[in-house]
Amino acid sequence: MARLTLERVSFWYPAMGRPALRDVSLAAAPGEVIALVGNVGAGASTLLLVAADLAPRVVGGKIEGRVNFRGRGKGEGGRGIVLPTPWTQLSGMAFTVWDEVAFGPANLGWPRERIAGAVDRSLAALDIGALAARDPATLSGGELQRVVIAGIIAMEPALLLLDEPTAELDPEGAGLVWRLVRALAGDGCSIVVATSDLDALPEVADRVVWMEDGVVRRIGAPALLAEESVCEAGLATTVADVWRTARLGAPYPLTVAQAERRWRQ
Amino acid sequence: MTGGRLHPFTLLAIAGTLPALAWILPAPAGGAVTTAVALVLTLTPGASPGLAGTGSSPGWRPGLVVLRTAVLTAAPFWLFLLLLHDVPSTIAIGLRLTTMIASVVWVGALLPPGRLVEAMVAAGWGVTAAYLFAAALSAVPLLKARAQRIVDAQRCRGLSPRGGLGRRLRALRALALPLVLSVLHEVDERALALETRGFVPGARRTPLAPPRDATAERVGRWLLLVGCAAALAWRLAWRG
Repeated sequence: MARLTLERVSFWYPAMGRPALRDVSLAAAPGEVIALVGNVGAGASTLLLVAADLAPRVVGGKIEGRVNFRGRGKGEGGRGIVLPTPWTQLSGMAFTVWDEVAFGPANLGWPRERIAGAVDRSLAALDIGALAARDPATLSGGELQRVVIAGIIAMEPALLLLDEPTAELDPEGAGLVWRLVRALAGDGCSIVVATSDLDALPEVADRVVWMEDGVVRRIGAPALLAEESVCEAGLATTVADVWRTARLGAPYPLTVAQAERRWRQ
Repeated sequence: MTGGRLHPFTLLAIAGTLPALAWILPAPAGGAVTTAVALVLTLTPGASPGLAGTGSSPGWRPGLVVLRTAVLTAAPFWLFLLLLHDVPSTIAIGLRLTTMIASVVWVGALLPPGRLVEAMVAAGWGVTAAYLFAAALSAVPLLKARAQRIVDAQRCRGLSPRGGLGRRLRALRALALPLVLSVLHEVDERALALETRGFVPGARRTPLAPPRDATAERVGRWLLLVGCAAALAWRLAWRG
């Protein structure tokens, strides 16, 4: 049974005549990682807002179609979204990193012992335990990004929506986040991630959704990122793109390991 | 017991009572007493420069920084009063203003905003009221950091905030607009972030570290309130 289902969803932002999403249908199963890829204006971020029940409820605008989420209500076992600008994601109510991460669980009314456990686990998962006593206002962009992700993870969502989660991170931090995504999926969390870190997707995503102008162009396995049409759209992995540019012949390899095997053949 | 261990509401009650008494009691004696008390409080062990200054060190030095901040903040008011009034009026009003300033600086240095928010949540205040208070306090360092980033970016493009008064005013105008616009632009995203983290009206928030509110302190707060009311009644009767 899918945890999140979108059936022919179209969405218009307020005062916009053109829909940001058109006839989008998608289902996310428990434990599945779905990656949304597309160029600027493709509608990936909007799809995440709709899936998070923030659009149109908070954002405003108009929606058509059906969005169905099978969780346990808000917050706990619910939906968590990480937006692409970490400095706007701070609660404004916490004066240490620990309190910032605890902000969400505290709003769920959990007992203090449970909150403490969830916060400590999240800090450890994001490798930011050393920042626990720091004022969030003094953190760098990368540190802040980890804190914001930790704040959502601590709420133990059943559906995790990530919008460019590695944009502020260095390669090591990005690798940590992708490993965490796989670990959470292993625990049954459904994850939908909009990202331009295409090279990470073969290892991370179960399915890739290619979006363009608010429409789903293709849905498929990560191998999609090495197809000719995707390469033409500039959405292929680096290896596939290099292979294609070098005219080494289709099908293009997706990863370095695949390229190595092809090269040896 | 140091001031830092008092319940946040008790600290606020003291900081509110002193200015109230300063205005209620006859000048200049009343103001002189309340000013003296407020200035002595700034030296309270546990006071940290916090918003008033930077860094901290053990002993009396942080208190001295807080005292200096209170005095330096009050000084311009005395100058303006002296320009506008005669000496007795200047002393009467100046002492009252100094009490207000010293009380605010003292409580600001002694009370971490997070502790006050915890106290508000534990006392059953709505999360919205607690948020408004905490967000206003936490906005200060965030806005300061953002303003610095904007100034840095503008300096990279040749706009220097240094130089004569005219140049500084131009730089200030160039800073104000992007600062205000960026804050307004972020309102929507912050609303989304709060919503997704369960911060909705009516949420039953768990206080993470509720400060202990001893019976003696609760009684003390009521006594401060009664004391203010009694002083007001006495003053009105005395005047009559």
